[in-house]
Amino acid sequence: MAKKIKVLLAKLGLDVHNRGIITVAKELVDAGMEIVYIGNSLPREIVQTAIQEDVDVIGVSSLGGAHITLGKPLIEAARREKLTYGVVFVIGGVFPPDDTIRLKEIGFDAVFTPGATRDEIVHSIEELVIKKTV
Amino acid sequence: MKENEKTTKEILAETVAARVRTPLYNPAALEIMRKQFDDWMRSTVREKDRREWLKTPRTVLGSDIPREMLYTPLSQPDLDYHEDLGNSGQEPFTRGIHANMYRGREFTMRQLTGFGSPEDTNGRMKFMLDHGATGLNILFDIPTIQMYDSDDPFSQGQVGMSGVCVDSVEDMDILFKDIRLDEITVSLVTHYPSNTAILFPMFLALAEERGIPWEKLRGSVQNDTTLEEVIRSGAEFIAPKDCFRIQCDNIEFIRKNVPLWNFITLNGYNLREFGTSGVTEMAVAVANGIATLKEMIRRGYEVDSVADRLAFFWSPASDFFEEAARLRAVRRLWYKIMKYRFQAKNPRSMWMRCHVQTSGVSLVQQEPLNNVIRAAYHALSAVLGGAQSLHVDSYDEAYSVPTAEAALLSLRTQQILQEETGISDVVDPLGGSYYVEAMTSDIETRILDEVDEIECGGGYVSAIESGQLHRKISSYFTNQQKEIEKGDIKIVAYNRYRSDSAPPPINVFRYPEGVEERQRDKLARLRLNRDNGRVVAALTALKEACRKGENILPHSVACARARCTEGELFKVFKEAFGLWKPPALW
Repeated sequence: MAKKIKVLLAKLGLDVHNRGIITVAKELVDAGMEIVYIGNSLPREIVQTAIQEDVDVIGVSSLGGAHITLGKPLIEAARREKLTYGVVFVIGGVFPPDDTIRLKEIGFDAVFTPGATRDEIVHSIEELVIKKTV
Repeated sequence: MKENEKTTKEILAETVAARVRTPLYNPAALEIMRKQFDDWMRSTVREKDRREWLKTPRTVLGSDIPREMLYTPLSQPDLDYHEDLGNSGQEPFTRGIHANMYRGREFTMRQLTGFGSPEDTNGRMKFMLDHGATGLNILFDIPTIQMYDSDDPFSQGQVGMSGVCVDSVEDMDILFKDIRLDEITVSLVTHYPSNTAILFPMFLALAEERGIPWEKLRGSVQNDTTLEEVIRSGAEFIAPKDCFRIQCDNIEFIRKNVPLWNFITLNGYNLREFGTSGVTEMAVAVANGIATLKEMIRRGYEVDSVADRLAFFWSPASDFFEEAARLRAVRRLWYKIMKYRFQAKNPRSMWMRCHVQTSGVSLVQQEPLNNVIRAAYHALSAVLGGAQSLHVDSYDEAYSVPTAEAALLSLRTQQILQEETGISDVVDPLGGSYYVEAMTSDIETRILDEVDEIECGGGYVSAIESGQLHRKISSYFTNQQKEIEKGDIKIVAYNRYRSDSAPPPINVFRYPEGVEERQRDKLARLRLNRDNGRVVAALTALKEACRKGENILPHSVACARARCTEGELFKVFKEAFGLWKPPALW
């Protein structure tokens, strides 16, 4: 049997809304993944925990508007630790339409907005993990 | 709850059941109706419709209350006009808290405002007031809501987002520049008890500095434990019992010192938006209301000296008639609780007064203009239900905080309802509808059942400590998501009639730049120029009060006067009370 995909999930910064990420956490568990949920965290803490936990995927959620101002420092911190080569970065939340493109430019491998379904999220993560780890 | 103490449901079962009822329909008429109904069922109704007579609408944030295909007097044969409805402004207030309702006082148009710096939000507030808004409703940014200063490492990248940043009384002053605090009613969306105990004192200190007596201030704060301890995602929490104590400290202080101020807004809205049915939303807020009154009575207050300033906050969503019925149901239930559970004497104490905000979770990103229609229906149901004040969500909130144009459209939605539809001219137009009356009674029973569930589990605070509420909500929203993805809950342009063509571009709000830097500079100057000896003394006295169990508000007001910052006060709470780990949601 293939190794379980290990996913670190975090709320980016102080954002108060966690319904989305909790829903996704449950869906990923149902899909057979292992979840480490660390709640509200800053980019540096997320990267450090990801290294300690040796995760395949980092998923962050932002619904309060700070997706760029905290998303960018997250990817930069991950680059400094050479994490972006082997680890998949995904972000979900509420963003203005243009920012989906900007988030990809910053370095997120996938960007999920409120329309995303369970299947889309699960398949996308599975494919990205294969692509990044091969 | 103490052992052997009767639950609210038990008390109502005894007291309300003892009242003499005079049913509206006479037995002979009901007999004829029943026969006619049976004949009609056999002769006219198709077999399939007979089989599926009861149908449960599947809607976003909906309940699981089954509906009949046709409602008749038989749906509620014992309806008693006097006992169950009464005239408007009359017990049991089902038809509205005022006799003349919107003829006497129009619903307040209170649109949420808040983004960027205090200067930015001050500009938007003036824009809304210039266009006919009749109240202010101020939303704070994420760090302010979470009680961190703008220069805290945890606030990085988030200052001025989702609301306005306020670090000290000086920001409060800028926020209300050129706005007379004694002439407009102000809703401060402080969310949490802890936050209320920090931010409202800044508002009070500002009034003092402007020479306005506190007796003249009118408005509301939220001050709700559910919001701080159940709904909030955050890094640091104090325990529910400490949070609930601060909630009651706020009430006690404001009651004594700011008599016209609504000191708590029992929150259903955010709980429902987080993920509950309309029934649970109301049950939790009502349970908090009961627990709060019990605590105030324990502190030595007469129920009537507190209950007249309790207000509620609801989320009208998409199940149109259920939403209108829900407001009527909880109004009647609250009356019964006040009258029979607490023996209130003042009719005002028995009023379920409420602010509503249209459901934000019901808005979708696909074809965002459709959200205008959704919000208008939500608003209509709330007005038909007899709400006191209203915020209509903007269509672009599925992307960001609203642009000025979208915020104006929300205000216009309310103004059109009020000025063009004739809706304010007749009180409780749905009253007497077989459907709405049956739903009103059904929902009232269900809310009370869920209040009972909470009380039997040990009461409101225990239901939070034990994770009972967290689990209930988490399982509701997980199932809801599955129902949406399966298409059982239908959402136009999302899972029904989805269009493949590229959507027209929409103008989305962009936050002003440089807010964080300016706020940091301002804070650095504040910390340099204030009397830091006074700051330390004020914070020390606050910590003492937290530990000793005396009301903390006089001390947090002293902190606000001394120009303590929000983060400094939250630090005191964390040190004095210690941290609590909330139950996991999954």
